[in-house]
Amino acid sequence: MKKYLYIIKTQIIKSMTYEFNVYGNIIMQTIIMITSAYFWRALYTGRSVVDGVDVGSMQTYIIISSALSVLLITNVERRIGSSVEKGSVATDMMKPINLFGMFLAEDIGSIIALIFQNMLPILLIGSLMIKLPVMADIRDLPMLVISVIESFLINWLIAALFGMMAFTTINNNALIQVKKHLIRLLSGSIIPIWFFPKSVSKVLSALPFVYIYQLPLSIYIGKGDRTEMIFQMRIQFIWLVILSALFFYAQSRITRKVMVQGG
Amino acid sequence: MIEVKNLSKDYTIKRKGAGLTGALKGLVIKNTDVVHAVKDLSFHLNEGEIVGFIGPNGAGKSTTIKMMSGILTPTRGSVLIGGEDITKHRKKVVRNIGVVFGQRTQLNWDLRLGETFELLKHIYRIEQSEYDKTLDVMDDILGIKELIDNPVRQMSLGQRVKGDLVASMLHSPKVLFLDEPTIGLDVSAKYSLRKFIKEINKVRKTTIVLTTHDLGDIQELCERLIIINHGVMMEDGNLKEITDRIAPYKTLVVEYYDEEAPMHDKCEMITHEGNVARYRFAKSDITAADIIADLSSKKSLKDVSIEEAGIDDIIKIAYGS
Amino acid sequence: MRKSFDTLLHYLDVTGQEIKMAFMTMIEYPSNIAGWFISNPLQFIMGFAIIKFVVESFGEINGWNYGQLAFLYGLSVISHALSMIFFVQGWFMGWFVIEGDFDRYLTRPLGVLYQFFFTNINIFGITDLIPGVIVFIYGCAKSGVTVSFLFIVQVIIMLIGATFIRGGIYIFLGSTSFHTRSAVDFGQYTQEIMDKTTMYPMSMYPESMQFILTYLIPIGWVSFYPVSSLLGIDNGLSGGMTTAFITLAVGLLVMFLAGAFFNSGLKKYESAGN
Repeated sequence: MKKYLYIIKTQIIKSMTYEFNVYGNIIMQTIIMITSAYFWRALYTGRSVVDGVDVGSMQTYIIISSALSVLLITNVERRIGSSVEKGSVATDMMKPINLFGMFLAEDIGSIIALIFQNMLPILLIGSLMIKLPVMADIRDLPMLVISVIESFLINWLIAALFGMMAFTTINNNALIQVKKHLIRLLSGSIIPIWFFPKSVSKVLSALPFVYIYQLPLSIYIGKGDRTEMIFQMRIQFIWLVILSALFFYAQSRITRKVMVQGG
Repeated sequence: MIEVKNLSKDYTIKRKGAGLTGALKGLVIKNTDVVHAVKDLSFHLNEGEIVGFIGPNGAGKSTTIKMMSGILTPTRGSVLIGGEDITKHRKKVVRNIGVVFGQRTQLNWDLRLGETFELLKHIYRIEQSEYDKTLDVMDDILGIKELIDNPVRQMSLGQRVKGDLVASMLHSPKVLFLDEPTIGLDVSAKYSLRKFIKEINKVRKTTIVLTTHDLGDIQELCERLIIINHGVMMEDGNLKEITDRIAPYKTLVVEYYDEEAPMHDKCEMITHEGNVARYRFAKSDITAADIIADLSSKKSLKDVSIEEAGIDDIIKIAYGS
Repeated sequence: MRKSFDTLLHYLDVTGQEIKMAFMTMIEYPSNIAGWFISNPLQFIMGFAIIKFVVESFGEINGWNYGQLAFLYGLSVISHALSMIFFVQGWFMGWFVIEGDFDRYLTRPLGVLYQFFFTNINIFGITDLIPGVIVFIYGCAKSGVTVSFLFIVQVIIMLIGATFIRGGIYIFLGSTSFHTRSAVDFGQYTQEIMDKTTMYPMSMYPESMQFILTYLIPIGWVSFYPVSSLLGIDNGLSGGMTTAFITLAVGLLVMFLAGAFFNSGLKKYESAGN
């Protein structure tokens, strides 16, 4: 445990040194957030409530989605990819530390730095320039915290699983792009899937992506009643279990493969 | 051929504190330092010279050679190649130069070597007949034609350096810049590389500017040495002249029949291990013959040899100052 | 005059060789081809489906019907694809700066920016072009425009202008790394902003933002103004060739300014090592 904490700390320091990235990211994210807010304002012109959500909640949804996106940045897929590409994966796996544990610790470290560098400034800018993103019902806070942790883990596991596909094809950049697009478009991060046709949103509810963004955001803005939220949290948990199982299975297969063939 | 006038390069670097607090401070407060990597260098290189730039790591050799080849913009001063300023007329001037940097390659990693040559043929607008002729010459010296169909990513470092050298010579440049060309190469690759440099210098009158840490390169190739330290020129001249000036001594190695070695008042005993003693003396003070005569009068000698001050002595002295 | 024509021929000749080499490289890695042929079309097909869903939930967007939106989306994706082929390296300029990869371009007798983009020409961008063209043709049918010779000429000129605007923006963002000396990839953010502002009618945004997107960061000229003119949607723009030429002029201006900014950055280039 101590060595993982050390990695987290090192990664926080590392992330802190890229000052230009910090300011650049904040500017870019602010532009995206404000554009999105105007986008929804324009769509809602002449309508007060669409699919049970009003424009104010939609603005909150956008601000919290921007903030949440900071927690969902992963680097594990690229780390695995470059380790395989450079052929250092065998020696990496011999190290007295679990390779994937190390990548997870690195990602957590980066995110802790990003909470201060990006998330808080984004929330502040959003509150000042768009609206104060108040949570609909503060009693849902425990549910929100749990669902955010689970959404982080689901997102990380999907990234790791896509990264592991580097062992099958030589170059995994295209696969990383596929993953990025799937999450961007099907998780409700930009447009909530309740605006999609019923048949489509039903299919998407069965996939893990909406449990990355849309579930915690729905809890935050109070979309749907509590029984519905609890039902969705159960599905989220089931996905977490399925993806964890897949991850550990893939990890053991890869370890065996690397140990036998030396990468 | 090359005229370097008051060449200087400054870098600004950011200072950062240690640890988490240092990183946090760095976000708000900026501390910058100005580093003078190269200070006011002036020299002139003639056509057909082979010039070696030596100096310790961080002395400014690479910075100098990169300014001379148009990669870095000088902070002050100028570099004229064939009478024209490389900063002002880059596209025209670089036609006359070739560049090989030991640690990096200009070859296309994914394709066969010949493909990069083909691209360069188009870039420099080399006539087919001229191209074939150059390739024949290169094949005689380096045996490049047997490599031409190999993908670059499957080549050894030595083969890749050969490929890079040929790539840099295809357009028959008047000046060739080599930044640590022999780094990481094995003995036979070094040998063929040095042969190549000597050969093209002789046949094509190519001026060659190289930086190196390899004493063999200097001894075998360089007619002229420029020693740089802390961005300042320390020495400029040929190897023998510099040696005579800054290391005007020889070493006499004497082997006795036992472990006892007598002293001599005109020279200094620098080491004494087992039966062997080494005496260093200044050429102006005494001759080797006199020392040998004096020593043999005190004790019988088994074997005697004389060592000239080597390049490593010069470098030690020059770097030390 | 003759000299510049000669220079042009030289550049075209080198470009031919670069493209040939890019294809050869692509063939070296067949698994990549499959990957990009899945990844990129998927992105745009999903993106287009989402626009359809939004229109179904909200009706017209700022007075633009579904056919017009498809037309806008298609044209935007095509210029995006072209910018991916020729200018995507701008997103990764920071890595080239840090790794010292400009050394090679600086020691060759051609324009540095030209070499940077064309030695790394991204043939895979074609996988973006295909869905773009399909959606655009669909949009042409749905919005009921008459496809004449003049129309095609207008579209081509507008696309060149739009691609230059996108490319210029990538160059601008990439060139900041000469000053910051850090490798930042703003690609994803850039694309997200571009998507929001070029795939939906810009008139839905407030006046202040429209002003910025018209005059300061002229993204409005990437798709909104050209499409408004082509579809005859009233924005005080004249039809015919005028808008096409304004688009091209804006593209050339952005490219020129970006090139100047790049060149000023290049003077601060520090190579790698030392």
